[in-house]
Amino acid sequence: MAMDIEAARRTPPKEVVVRVRRYDPETKKTWWQEFKVEARRGMTVLDALLKIKEEQDHTLVLRYSCRQGICGSCGMVINGTPRLACQTQLAEVASEARPVITVEPLYNFPVIRDLVTNFTEFFNKHRSVKPYLIRKDKEEQENPKGQYDMFPDEYYQIYQYSSCVYCGLCYAACPVVAADPQFLGPQALMYALRFVNDVRDEAWGERLIMVDTEHGCHRCHFAASCSAVCPKAVDPAGAIQALRSKVFKYRLHLFKRRVSKVIGPPPEKGERVPLPPEATLLPGVDLKKLEQEPVVIQLPPE
Amino acid sequence: MSEGEVAEKKNSLGFWRSSINPWAVRTKDNPERLAFVFHRISGFLIIAFLLAHILETDSPVWSQLIYHVNGWTFWNHLMAIEAGLAFRVGEFIIAGAVLFHAPNGIRLLLSEFFGVGIGRPGDPKPPYVPGTFTASQRTWLYAVFVVWIALWIFAGIIIFT
Repeated sequence: MAMDIEAARRTPPKEVVVRVRRYDPETKKTWWQEFKVEARRGMTVLDALLKIKEEQDHTLVLRYSCRQGICGSCGMVINGTPRLACQTQLAEVASEARPVITVEPLYNFPVIRDLVTNFTEFFNKHRSVKPYLIRKDKEEQENPKGQYDMFPDEYYQIYQYSSCVYCGLCYAACPVVAADPQFLGPQALMYALRFVNDVRDEAWGERLIMVDTEHGCHRCHFAASCSAVCPKAVDPAGAIQALRSKVFKYRLHLFKRRVSKVIGPPPEKGERVPLPPEATLLPGVDLKKLEQEPVVIQLPPE
Repeated sequence: MSEGEVAEKKNSLGFWRSSINPWAVRTKDNPERLAFVFHRISGFLIIAFLLAHILETDSPVWSQLIYHVNGWTFWNHLMAIEAGLAFRVGEFIIAGAVLFHAPNGIRLLLSEFFGVGIGRPGDPKPPYVPGTFTASQRTWLYAVFVVWIALWIFAGIIIFT
């Protein structure tokens, strides 16, 4: 979700009512509980929940870790939208006119207790697309001896997808997962594309066949809610459409991609690495001349 | 799988809650979801119309078997009923469904089969706006809404005058 950067500067209402949907696995009861929290500027929903846990109700259970949107543990549904509690300012979701926020466990996940959900199925789906580099050469796969070459544009084909924090917000927002629990989900499909795009990987055919099923990429209806709630702009909706067009091309035997080569062991500390001839992108730049006569950048006189 | 996990799974959302989920989740800056809901509803309407239309055009045959009347007499009777206002309103709704479903379907075909209009992966930076939302498919989506409303108004003028 596009962040509201200015929200941290705004002042939330003095007292915020936090309505939490709770669940007790022993009695199997679900109920809504209200807490009143004294809010201050810069307070996040996670801060409010922790304050409730410390001062009002110790039995409130939630999962969190880093408090800065990196670990992806504190995903929950806030005011009907799946969001990271640590990245959601109270000023963003509560106002003087309506100082009530509702907090629920993530949709499409089985609830363990209160706000903690079971991610087993989510991670099993993630594992099912083989989220690791696969090389045809078994020896190289087991004992890699060197590094692979990769150009910046190829790197940008995977960089965005690699910033996924596995928070499960996309999975919670997906209307297709709600209707078809066997659907791989936006995260797993996005990760399949991340490795299909990766030039260091050689198992794209395997992955494209794996997702070309009834419960794979063709189940997506492009509601794009996964992208709308993603806290890192990983854009799973766009990834699934790209994956689908790649499956289409692959089935027509039109899908082609470069595979990177092993370019020897990584350099020792201080060792000078010669530039490959294709590294220069500027016309008229002679690399050999550049190596002999280093460019001296002259600073303008003060 | 242990017994404990099975017990936890029982607390997943039930059928009705899962079915309502597409409408229950609130997302900002996401007209694609609105388009998805409209596309689905209009799809159901078109299928329902198609079935009713097949029954209607086939009525000279089945009316002979069921009501033992002349097929064309029944056809004229049916046409007289369908000239009423309720059926015109129905026709207007079907026109709306078709006029949304068709251009949106073209947008989806282009994006889903050929990966057109979804942008390229890049370097996400705060405020983290996904590339698909700034790519051309979003423009097409707005165009679909505009074309839909314009053609629907035009269809309404034709149907009601």
